[in-house]
Amino acid sequence: MKRALTYLAFAILGIGIGAYSALTMAGLLPGDRRTQGPIEINNWYGDFAMGSEDASPYFRARIARHGLLALANTEAVYFTRTVDDSGQPFTEDCMYQLSGGAMPARWWSVTLYNAQNFLPDNTDSALSFDASRADMQSDNGSGWSAVISPAKPADDTGWISSKASEAFDLTLRLYVPNDGVLEDPEGMIDAPSVKRLQCSGDAS
Amino acid sequence: MKRLAGPIACSIILALATHAGIVYFAPSFIMDRAYTMIGERGTPVHGFQLAPQMRPDTQSVVRPSPDLAYSGCRFDFGQAANGIRVKMAAYEGYSSLSFFDAQTNNFRTIRGNGEPQEITLTAKDAPSAKGIILIRRLAPTDADYARVIEAAQNDICEAL
Repeated sequence: MKRALTYLAFAILGIGIGAYSALTMAGLLPGDRRTQGPIEINNWYGDFAMGSEDASPYFRARIARHGLLALANTEAVYFTRTVDDSGQPFTEDCMYQLSGGAMPARWWSVTLYNAQNFLPDNTDSALSFDASRADMQSDNGSGWSAVISPAKPADDTGWISSKASEAFDLTLRLYVPNDGVLEDPEGMIDAPSVKRLQCSGDAS
Repeated sequence: MKRLAGPIACSIILALATHAGIVYFAPSFIMDRAYTMIGERGTPVHGFQLAPQMRPDTQSVVRPSPDLAYSGCRFDFGQAANGIRVKMAAYEGYSSLSFFDAQTNNFRTIRGNGEPQEITLTAKDAPSAKGIILIRRLAPTDADYARVIEAAQNDICEAL
């Protein structure tokens, strides 16, 4: 009887360790976030195996959880970042300036998501900034900027609302990437910067 | 210690099996839940449904783009022995027709380029019997989405 209980205890321990390690490594725990990836450009992380049969089992599971129905890289590439230029995690309590230039793709966008991988629950109708809005700021979107903040800024020609997002992240989509992007993403993509402007509680 | 060799070996084997099982089956499990969930939200098997504009109160799948309009169709070759016919109607602006298998792989994508695109898919063309077909159309504004509503009326997803 004692021997059987020993086996049972070790069996439960093994299943627990196996389950926890799998959920952790595949990004399936409730608190886990983001798609991650081996390509890093200015704090934006991506993996071109997204949506592909070439994806590792771990990455495939992570994408199923955090980016289901993502397109394969010939149609779109995705990058996610969770920190500002100073390396601090994004938070609804701060205001940021997102800025960049022309992107090597037919169309691009930057969208804000909450920790549950969904659009934040607000009614500001300012959930993203995309190439069409950049084109309105400058010819061919060659130089653009947007404010990320929980309240509408005075100049709202470029605004992404972080209201009700708490700790958020940003996803950069490049649709129909230009030739060369898949081979040399670091050389081809001038990924947007995200500068922290101020936070609630900062001395004014 | 020797008496624990058996239980420890059992524990290691179960840990490895559990770990591999979860990692391997997680994508198909999540995809199956998504397949069922979008069905409950009105997307038929072999029929396109245009989703409402992606907003906080309308999103149903993780990380939707609010700048894109999504039309979904579920396919099931168990109900379409002769295959399925899929047509994406013409749309001025970016559009694509993409196919996802039960393992979440995007196994085929066709770009619109302003023209209608049509394809016949049979069981041997797809890695799995069930999956999801998705049309994406660029529609950052309400006016764009109104154009999508017009175009989507001519999308077709049907069993042959």
